[in-house]
Amino acid sequence: MEVLKEKVEEEEAAEREDAAERAERGEKMMRLMEVRKEETTMTQEMLRDLERKLSEIEVSIPEKPSTFTKDTIDISKLPLSYKSNTPKEEHLLRVADNFSRQYSLLCPDRVPLFLHPLNECEVPKFVSTTIRPTLMPYPELYNWDTCAQFVSDFLAMLPLPDPLKPPSYLYSSTTVLKHQKGNCFDFSTLLCSMLIGAGYDAYCVNGYGSQDLCHMDLTREVCPLTVKPKETVQEEEKAPPKKYAIKPPRDLSSRFEQEQEMKRQEEIKAAEEKRRRQEEERLMEVDSAKTDPLHGLRVHSWVLVLSGKREVPESFFIDPFTARSYSTQDDNFLGIESLWNHKNYWINMQDCWNCCKDLIFDLGDPVMWEYLLLGTDKPLLSPAEEEDNGANDDDDVENLGKEDEDKSFDMPNSWVEQIEISPEVFETRCPNGKKVIQYKKAKLEKWAPYLNNNGLVCRLTTYEDLECTKTLEIKEWYQNREDMLELKHINKTTGLNIDYFKPGHPQALRVHSYTSMQPEMDRVMEFYEKARVDGLIKREETPKTMTEYYQGRPDFLSYRHINFGPRVKKLVLNSAESNPRPVVKIIERFFRNPAKPADEDVAERVFLILDERIQLRYHCREDHITASKREFLRRTEVDSKGNKIIMTPDMCISFEVEPMEHTKKLLYQYEAMMKLKNEEKLSRHQAWESELEVLEILKLREEEEEAHVLTTSIYDTKRNEKSKEYREAMERVMHEEHLRQVEAQLDYLAPFLAQLPPGEKLTRWQAVRLKDECLSDFKQRLINKANLIQARFEKETQELQKQQQWYQENQVTLTPEDEDLYLSYCSQAMFRIRILEQRLNRHKELAPLKYLALEEKLYKDPRLVELLKVFV
Amino acid sequence: MHQLCDMEPRVMDDDMLKLAVGEQGPRDEAGQLAKQEGILFKDVLSLQLDFQNILRIDNLWQFENLRKLQLDNNTIEKIEGLEKLTRLVWLDLSFNNIETIEGLDTLVNLEDLSLFNNRIAKIDSLDALVKLQVLSLGNNRIGNLMNIIYLRRFKDLRTLSLAGNPIAAAEDYRMFICAYLPDLVYLDFRRIDDHTKELAEVKHQYSTDELKHQENLMQARLEDEQARREELEEHKAAFVENLNGSFLFDSMYAEDVEGSKLASLPGVAELMETYKDKFVIICLNIFEYGLKQQEKRKAELDTFNERVQEAVQENQAQGRHRTAEFEEKHLLSLSTIRGESELTDIETKIADQREDIAELSNALMTLEMQLVEQLEETINMFERNIVDLVELFIENVQSLMAQCRDLENHHHEKLLEIAINILEKIVKGELDEDLPDDVRALFVDKDTIVNAVGASHDMHLLKIDNREDELVTRVNSWCTHLVDKIHKDEMTRNRRRVKEIIQYGDHVQGELDSLECGDILD
Repeated sequence: MEVLKEKVEEEEAAEREDAAERAERGEKMMRLMEVRKEETTMTQEMLRDLERKLSEIEVSIPEKPSTFTKDTIDISKLPLSYKSNTPKEEHLLRVADNFSRQYSLLCPDRVPLFLHPLNECEVPKFVSTTIRPTLMPYPELYNWDTCAQFVSDFLAMLPLPDPLKPPSYLYSSTTVLKHQKGNCFDFSTLLCSMLIGAGYDAYCVNGYGSQDLCHMDLTREVCPLTVKPKETVQEEEKAPPKKYAIKPPRDLSSRFEQEQEMKRQEEIKAAEEKRRRQEEERLMEVDSAKTDPLHGLRVHSWVLVLSGKREVPESFFIDPFTARSYSTQDDNFLGIESLWNHKNYWINMQDCWNCCKDLIFDLGDPVMWEYLLLGTDKPLLSPAEEEDNGANDDDDVENLGKEDEDKSFDMPNSWVEQIEISPEVFETRCPNGKKVIQYKKAKLEKWAPYLNNNGLVCRLTTYEDLECTKTLEIKEWYQNREDMLELKHINKTTGLNIDYFKPGHPQALRVHSYTSMQPEMDRVMEFYEKARVDGLIKREETPKTMTEYYQGRPDFLSYRHINFGPRVKKLVLNSAESNPRPVVKIIERFFRNPAKPADEDVAERVFLILDERIQLRYHCREDHITASKREFLRRTEVDSKGNKIIMTPDMCISFEVEPMEHTKKLLYQYEAMMKLKNEEKLSRHQAWESELEVLEILKLREEEEEAHVLTTSIYDTKRNEKSKEYREAMERVMHEEHLRQVEAQLDYLAPFLAQLPPGEKLTRWQAVRLKDECLSDFKQRLINKANLIQARFEKETQELQKQQQWYQENQVTLTPEDEDLYLSYCSQAMFRIRILEQRLNRHKELAPLKYLALEEKLYKDPRLVELLKVFV
Repeated sequence: MHQLCDMEPRVMDDDMLKLAVGEQGPRDEAGQLAKQEGILFKDVLSLQLDFQNILRIDNLWQFENLRKLQLDNNTIEKIEGLEKLTRLVWLDLSFNNIETIEGLDTLVNLEDLSLFNNRIAKIDSLDALVKLQVLSLGNNRIGNLMNIIYLRRFKDLRTLSLAGNPIAAAEDYRMFICAYLPDLVYLDFRRIDDHTKELAEVKHQYSTDELKHQENLMQARLEDEQARREELEEHKAAFVENLNGSFLFDSMYAEDVEGSKLASLPGVAELMETYKDKFVIICLNIFEYGLKQQEKRKAELDTFNERVQEAVQENQAQGRHRTAEFEEKHLLSLSTIRGESELTDIETKIADQREDIAELSNALMTLEMQLVEQLEETINMFERNIVDLVELFIENVQSLMAQCRDLENHHHEKLLEIAINILEKIVKGELDEDLPDDVRALFVDKDTIVNAVGASHDMHLLKIDNREDELVTRVNSWCTHLVDKIHKDEMTRNRRRVKEIIQYGDHVQGELDSLECGDILD
């Protein structure tokens, strides 16, 4: 132990040294590498120790410690605003420098401000102008939680080059998004831009965070998915005793005894509580064994959302790495240097000795928050203080000069381009579509949809121990599966699998919990009863029984319980499948059928098949506490003469709440029994069918598991091949249609107008001539066309006649083939002639109409209308 | 017309019915049972009596539950003897000699009526058959198309056959029926297509519209009347009917001969006017107060009923739970006893079960007694409250009525004064106006006029008193009735429950006993 402790100290010392060294040199080097360097000088034993330690501490640090260096960024494509400063920006930088100088003079003991780091083009840019408020076109990104989740998923985390200092570079969101990685400042700048765009009152914060926070280390956090939502026990409000409420019966039990009992209970409870607390404390100790030597010095950047806008009831922090929200009192946030949004920059003038717990986020108060620019819209003051402010106006007079100077200046527009995220990238989310988060006793893996061919999008593995060796349970979420599987829950300790399905499974399955896929084992299947014809809600199975629950059936069946006996060994002839287990007992329960009187409405019937006994229990009458019963003994007996006894009074024992006459009759009982016999057969058949269905579902499930086909939405234009084809076809049709229209719009006057001298106004005479020429030309065309058709017609006719003549002459000598040839030619020729004839007729009919239409068109032509009007 | 006409008509006697019932009853094994036990007429659901040459329908009164009755192909001349068969759904009287439709007024459940091939000339007397769906009247003597309009009142009528009637020969026959019976689906066993329907509608639109309008008017009038009747009923329930106006005042003068005579005296008209106004205002006060009180009483009764209901329900739930629990255990132990072979074991088990039964009936009885006690207390409380309410109501009404009386007294004094003045004038001969003779006859001397005015006054007071008495007696009797009923209901409930518990206990005991006997026999 001694050695170990020493080693830890040594390590810590080394770390501290390193940090100091790095702070001096300001090099972009990773701490891990340094530590590794140290490792080489250690003994094997120490190494193992250290390794174990390290594996605990630095799980989430990426293997490749890469910041993105300048040479990886292609700055040639970036717009001009990235590469230079406008005069206004220059002015702003000067103001900022001035402010910074004043600040360092006034507060010499505070670290220099983070005001204008260099961007990717080595140009100093003011931090506020790096925020580019953008409203994203995705509805998912409209709320802060999903937005933060997106940022944390989308970007890969890089540690700060120097954990004790803000970075000297702050890249634009464009670059950060392109490379999908960044440090905490990049994260919060991007998130802040999106949140402000969505209407939140959000700010980037430069401050100090805990080690876990800065390293995105969630191994000490409980996974949010494993936390069960607390069941809110709604205690039913006991209505005050109303008028005429009956008094409860007198309580005759001893109060003393009750008190004694209560005392004893409390003692037991207290003891338990104590034990629990001790246990907790022990755990806590284990948890917080290691402390961070750089506690309170690690620079971090996160987002502050102030209350007021977008119905945010209370201010809170968002850690952009993990997308978790924290209250402003949280222990992980150790202090704030400054914060800014796209309009202004504020410096915290409050003491952070007690983390951020005592900070007041009233940015309008210059005592607590020193502002850089006198903004046009002063951030909110709480209403009570607003009045104060009014009173204090006189005291601020001395500041007026300074304010006036600033007033002339407001924040220049952002130099960053609009944030753009393409749908593909948005869907892929994580870099390479995959992300792993390690939580305390849990591991969460995420994938982009369609990345895994079985539709897996998320997997949560819960472990029993902190070292994550023993798996407790696995939860897998799926998307876009054709079998509608949504969630698979595997409990490793009990071996219980639970599958959850969305509506739409071919068998309307909702939940399927099982330990093995073999039939006749313990399993529960729940169904979407609305989607099933038989209204089955749930089917529970044990090796010997099957219980089914129904809802909304026309026969009011609500419950069926079947007991199976041991399978009878049959001859080998029959295959195993067609050997159902014998049914021993069937219990069926029914809902009340309001159309029947209670005495005739069966509530429960039990078929004791081996005993040949049928028990009926009827529904209870409204104002009764006992229900009618009837029991039939189905044994067929033979009387002394050898005749079959059909029915005897002792074959039916009945209890009736209100004895009725007709039910005493043997005939009635006989008929009832016959009916029940039939129904028993039906029920047994049902039981058999249920068994078959289970087999079928199991088979189907196995097939689905093997095939795991994914579906694509018809709205998913990229993946859905069918819709893509359809769309393309539609586009083609549209294009063709367009071409045709262009053709149709040909200018019929153009050739004639071209003959006239250009640029001159038409005279009336010219117009008339133009019109006549156009018409006559059209007439000529029509005639030509008619002639053409006529000519073809005649040609065809002549040809045919010639052929016929030839046929007449050679009829005797023709071979059958030739004759066939001739006949087919004839029919074709006739067809052609007929078509030509039709076309000719049609042309004759339409020609005058077309002519008139053109004439009218010409009269209405805007170029001629003025000139021709006189003649009309 | 009938092949059987020349045969002797037969009488529907017991033998014939028994034979028919026996023949049409259950078959095979069930038939044997039926024969063994005999079938009661009231259990018969359907009866077929065709080709029996029946002249007169008779002896059917026992078939209370009959649903379907076939009396076709007989020689029946008059529809009768069917009054008791109120459950009848299906009635076939085709191929008979019926001339008028009658005797169907009690068959409110009838859905299918066949009167095919009879001698009917007019469709009527079917008003009671509100559920009628199928009506067959083919081969009859209906000659007037206006008979169709009578059928409009059957909202469920879907199938009608009228072929073979004189009207079917009319060229407009189909169109007319389609137009006037738009809900009809089958006419003369053929489906009416939509096209025909449309044509018919267009053709007869004018007259059908008018008919519809009239029917609507009639409907509206009926509804109005219904509403008015309901309102009056409501007022009656509040005991203040006819007080929301001048009814009482008018009734005071209705039988008052002298009063109306005196009303014609100069100056009396104005007096009457103000008197009436004031009187009516008081009446309205009473009326409104009455309604309000009625609401209060109703609310009180409702809360009471609700609470009692709740208590009873809860108690029942407990009882049911207890019985269900017991039942389960009982069944289990019965089957174990059945399976047991050792006699001593059986006996101990039976003894245990006996104890359980006793315990159950005790528990149930305790529950019931507890409920009875609780309810008694509540009922008494309610009784006190409701009596208080009623008394308050009576008191207030009486004071208002006293105001009426005061007004009347005042009016009487004024009237007397005027009358005496006039008398004096008449005596002095100073009267300007002429008085009608019968009025002048009153002014013979002072006694006469005073008597006349007094009589009128007495009459008025009597009317007011009567109204008040009526109100008070009715509200009091309502109150006593209500309380009595609550007590009685509670008592019957209690008795029923006790009976139920005892019966159940007996049954379970019996089951056990029979088991014991069986075992001993075995």
